[in-house]
Amino acid sequence: MKKLRLWPQSLVGQIIALVAIALFVAQAINFGLLLRERQRLELTGQTAPAVYRVVDALDNRVEREGDRQRGRMRARFVTGAPELTGQARPDVERRATVMFEDVGLRILSVRAVQTSEVMPVRRWERIRMRANGDGPHDHSVGLLTLAAEYEPGKWVVAQARSGGDRPQRFGGWLVGQTLILYVIVLLPLLWMGRRLARPLKQLTGSAQQFARTGAADAVDERGPGDVRDLTMAFNAMRARIIAMLDEKDRMLGAIGHDLRTPLASLRVRTESVEDDAERARMSETIDEMNRMLEDILSLARAGRSTQAAQKVDLAALADAVVEDFIELGSPVDLADCDRAVAFVRPQQIRRALRNLIENAIVYGDRAHVSVLHENGNIRIAVADEGPGIAEDRMEEMLEPFTRLEGSRNRETGGSGLGLALVRAIMAEHQGELRLANRPEGGLEASLLLPG
Amino acid sequence: MSDRPHLLLVDDERSIREPLAQYLGRNGFRVTAVESASEARLRLAANAIDMVILDIMMPGEDGLSLCRHIRETSEIPVILLTARTEETDRIVGLEMGADDYVLKPFSPRELVARIKVIFRRVATGGQRVTAPDGANYSFAGWMLKTQERTLVDSEGVSLPLSTAEYNLMLAFATRPNSVLSRDQLLDITQGREANAFDRAIDNQISRLRKKIEPDPKNPTLIKTVWGGGYTLSAEVRKL
Repeated sequence: MKKLRLWPQSLVGQIIALVAIALFVAQAINFGLLLRERQRLELTGQTAPAVYRVVDALDNRVEREGDRQRGRMRARFVTGAPELTGQARPDVERRATVMFEDVGLRILSVRAVQTSEVMPVRRWERIRMRANGDGPHDHSVGLLTLAAEYEPGKWVVAQARSGGDRPQRFGGWLVGQTLILYVIVLLPLLWMGRRLARPLKQLTGSAQQFARTGAADAVDERGPGDVRDLTMAFNAMRARIIAMLDEKDRMLGAIGHDLRTPLASLRVRTESVEDDAERARMSETIDEMNRMLEDILSLARAGRSTQAAQKVDLAALADAVVEDFIELGSPVDLADCDRAVAFVRPQQIRRALRNLIENAIVYGDRAHVSVLHENGNIRIAVADEGPGIAEDRMEEMLEPFTRLEGSRNRETGGSGLGLALVRAIMAEHQGELRLANRPEGGLEASLLLPG
Repeated sequence: MSDRPHLLLVDDERSIREPLAQYLGRNGFRVTAVESASEARLRLAANAIDMVILDIMMPGEDGLSLCRHIRETSEIPVILLTARTEETDRIVGLEMGADDYVLKPFSPRELVARIKVIFRRVATGGQRVTAPDGANYSFAGWMLKTQERTLVDSEGVSLPLSTAEYNLMLAFATRPNSVLSRDQLLDITQGREANAFDRAIDNQISRLRKKIEPDPKNPTLIKTVWGGGYTLSAEVRKL
């Protein structure tokens, strides 16, 4: 399943996204709480006038009873459940019950209905609405009728205007407030993030460069403290690794020199051996040791090449290498091939190809070389006519010092470093060494290079 | 006694110097073996030396410095013995004007063969063939890079050369517009990699033509000279 790419990948992006989401959730909760409180207030505001009239009526019941006709009827007493028309308001009933309890009135049951009708707006309402920024027009005002049973069968009914449902302007308020919060919180965060991200990006670049080339520039030590610490640690590590690699090169150079001198001495002395066959064998052994030494040094130096990569025609390279083998009388041939240009270090690819051809001749009698274009890659294939390699041993063959047991030509020896060296060279070129048994018999070793 | 060429062998390693001096002595040379550059300077001043065999890595004054001194003061041929194979070192050595070099461990027979090639050249009054000194040569849109043994075309793509092709190309590039006979070409090119060059020159010429001529059938760069040999017909610039 494809992952949604909405979620940012970078540290700073994630922090900002997270903070933005958290802010929004907090705002929403805040909004919910405020809304509830406001509704409660509104309900109280709607209920209170009617409740007040009921309470007032009950308190002044005695005087009122004899004076029923005087003035406007603010509350009337009825016996038996009153007929109430309109929309039932259970919320008002609940609120009224609580309010009656608060003032210590014993009320048996409460009923409330609301009728909605357009009524002239009172002056104080107009003032309030104007203060709230509401338009005074089209305002429907509800008439709330509240009936309270104060004694079994005896009810008091009161009416009062309710404010009606005023439009909610909370949504816009939430958005506005959230935006202000975002500006206040996210802008500094963004600034901080950039301060954090720049040295991290540099660090990444330097580390990648180091992995590719074995050398990289030191990273500027800046940004917040812990990033600076990380940069300093990286720089120290880089300096140490470079020092170690340099030391390794120096040491290998010294070993190479120190071993070659006695070998050279031995080689000169072999000439004084009378027996021709014996002398030939001795010098062969010395050459063998020297080759091994070269292989070890090359392998140890792999990945720290001083030669620059350049555009090279690999077909011409294969041709040149094969030609050198043919000059020496080796059974090697090259299939015709088109120009195949790749960005490589030619000396190293020559070396790799030579190693494969030598292997093919030693273990497979002949070497057939071809250069092919394959899916945007260039493949230099070296096929032989030998027995091939058991599939389960292929991987092992690439490890240093592995040699194919039971090879037809045990005497040939070799350091067992050939393929390991080829693999190291390929790795340095972002290429690949591939081994496969050919269907028609024999092994095919390929150098795969990005074209 | 003076018929025998007098070699001055300079090597600080006794284990190489002594057996090598013996071997060269057995092969018809008069050998004076010394262990340091300063001693070699004394011998050069006092004796008539025909060739110097010089180790590069020596304590005190090293072989390269001595080689430069010899080249500044005389025409005595120099063969360098070097244990280093890093290309950068090789080039530095050859810029000092050595005639040839062998890598340790070397076959004494090969050393003798190379000594003889150089003497033969001196005897026939041939031009000094210094080993490639790391310079590049450009001609007719091509560049010959001696360090990497490649030809670079006008698009900047390198065409690696085989050893034989390279030796031939170098011979032409260092002697542009002069006619080189097959024998001369063999002589020049065989000096360095003796065993790598036993195919006919013609064959190699045709391989080279295939690589660099716009139309190999009608060569315009490497031309055949009737009865003479071949010539590189192009302006060569040493870079």
